[in-house]
Amino acid sequence: MNVGWTQVALAGVWGGLVAVERKAFLQAMFSRPLVAATAMGALLDDVPSGLFVGLLLELFHLGSANLGASLPDNDTLSATGASAAAASMAAATGSGSTPAIWSLSVLLFLGLGRWGRGVDRFLERYSARLARKALASAEAGQLTRAMRQNQWGMWPHFVLFGLMTAACACAGWLIGPLLDVVPLRVLRGLAWAYPAMASVSAAIAARGSHAKRSSFYAGLGAGVVTLTVVLLALRERL
Amino acid sequence: MSDLAPALSWWVVLRVFLRSLFLQASWNPQGMQNLGLAYAVYPALERLYPEKGLLEVAVRRHLVFFNTHPYVAAAIVGGVLHHEQRIARGEETPDKVVAFKAALMGPLAALGDGFFWLSLKPATGAVCAALVPVLDAWAAVVFLVLYNLVHFWLRAKLYVLGLSMGDRLVEAVARANLPSRGAKLRSVGAACAGGLAAWLALDFGARAGGRFSPLLSVGCLALGAVSYVLVARRVPSYVVLYLAAGLACVAGAFL
Repeated sequence: MNVGWTQVALAGVWGGLVAVERKAFLQAMFSRPLVAATAMGALLDDVPSGLFVGLLLELFHLGSANLGASLPDNDTLSATGASAAAASMAAATGSGSTPAIWSLSVLLFLGLGRWGRGVDRFLERYSARLARKALASAEAGQLTRAMRQNQWGMWPHFVLFGLMTAACACAGWLIGPLLDVVPLRVLRGLAWAYPAMASVSAAIAARGSHAKRSSFYAGLGAGVVTLTVVLLALRERL
Repeated sequence: MSDLAPALSWWVVLRVFLRSLFLQASWNPQGMQNLGLAYAVYPALERLYPEKGLLEVAVRRHLVFFNTHPYVAAAIVGGVLHHEQRIARGEETPDKVVAFKAALMGPLAALGDGFFWLSLKPATGAVCAALVPVLDAWAAVVFLVLYNLVHFWLRAKLYVLGLSMGDRLVEAVARANLPSRGAKLRSVGAACAGGLAAWLALDFGARAGGRFSPLLSVGCLALGAVSYVLVARRVPSYVVLYLAAGLACVAGAFL
């Protein structure tokens, strides 16, 4: 078994950076699944894996939002974890990126979103401790020290989510060789699962768009695309 | 308080804006963004209150509970500087800045959540996901550019409005008519997502299905429609996704 440690380290660093960007700093959407996973694919030299895993997860998580004190599933962790695993799996098999690998990665690592939410909740308690420390420092007249506490809140995000993403990349390297012994019909089933999951995610996205008449607009979009594809196919046949 | 309180230089104003990007670095359930706000405005407070005692009091009044949308918080951060300058010059009492924050954080949070989180983000995500068939990985770059053009422009504009207008920024924000723009964006998002569901079913179905490609394409389209209904009836989206994957796996393996 061969693990690409450079790739594992790259996955960890990128996973940590986007975890910080997701809430603690900037929020310029580098942490959205489409962006974070595509960049992960580019870093691990497998853009298709990142792009198509990211596309599916972007659609799946499109309607979730961090409103007030509520915490949605951590879409960034599921995207970086699944894309890192998919790219590592493809590298480990040596046969390149396939829809079967994308499906397997999504099915195995989608649940990371829930785990990520748990970690977010845990880190809030750490931040609460920092805030108490800052208040105490301000009371004692140590203002610079009080202000510095704000920056300490970011490090645990970087470290914990970075480690989790690196673990996903490692898992990809371990699972990859096992795909050689999986029966062909199972691989075909997994390949069929990708378009099924993608179109289901897009339907979930239409529902999660928060539009007033989302069913009408989604139906309109789907109708126009279906009609166009069918007309193009007919023109090719004639 | 003094009539000779120093004015804020452009460098301090810029520093406060840049530090406001760390507003949620230590978000916590008790004070929420309190520490982030105090951290952001600290360079301005240091400049306005050279006397340590006054500076401590000023910092403490920004370490109380504060929570709003992180982008539109720029307006409040700008407004806090506006008020703190007046307080330092003796033109108003410190309770004005506390009341300003308390009055605006709720309404601006609702406005920001509705426009950025529930409209701009899903709409840009859906449009750029729909561009993947055309642009491949560049769709992710287009996503960042489109989203951040609006995001940074509004964030900077709100900061300047707060800084220059103080309480009157509410009228300027109301004129931007963000809720109705958000509703239009949400409709675009829904249409793009529907179109993408059809494209993914037809294109990937044709590529992965082999001789069963029409069956797979139609099956995926049907799964998309059924899953829309199931999610609308509050079936968890995870369950719907795994069910669809299971069905497709079984069909692919045994047909």
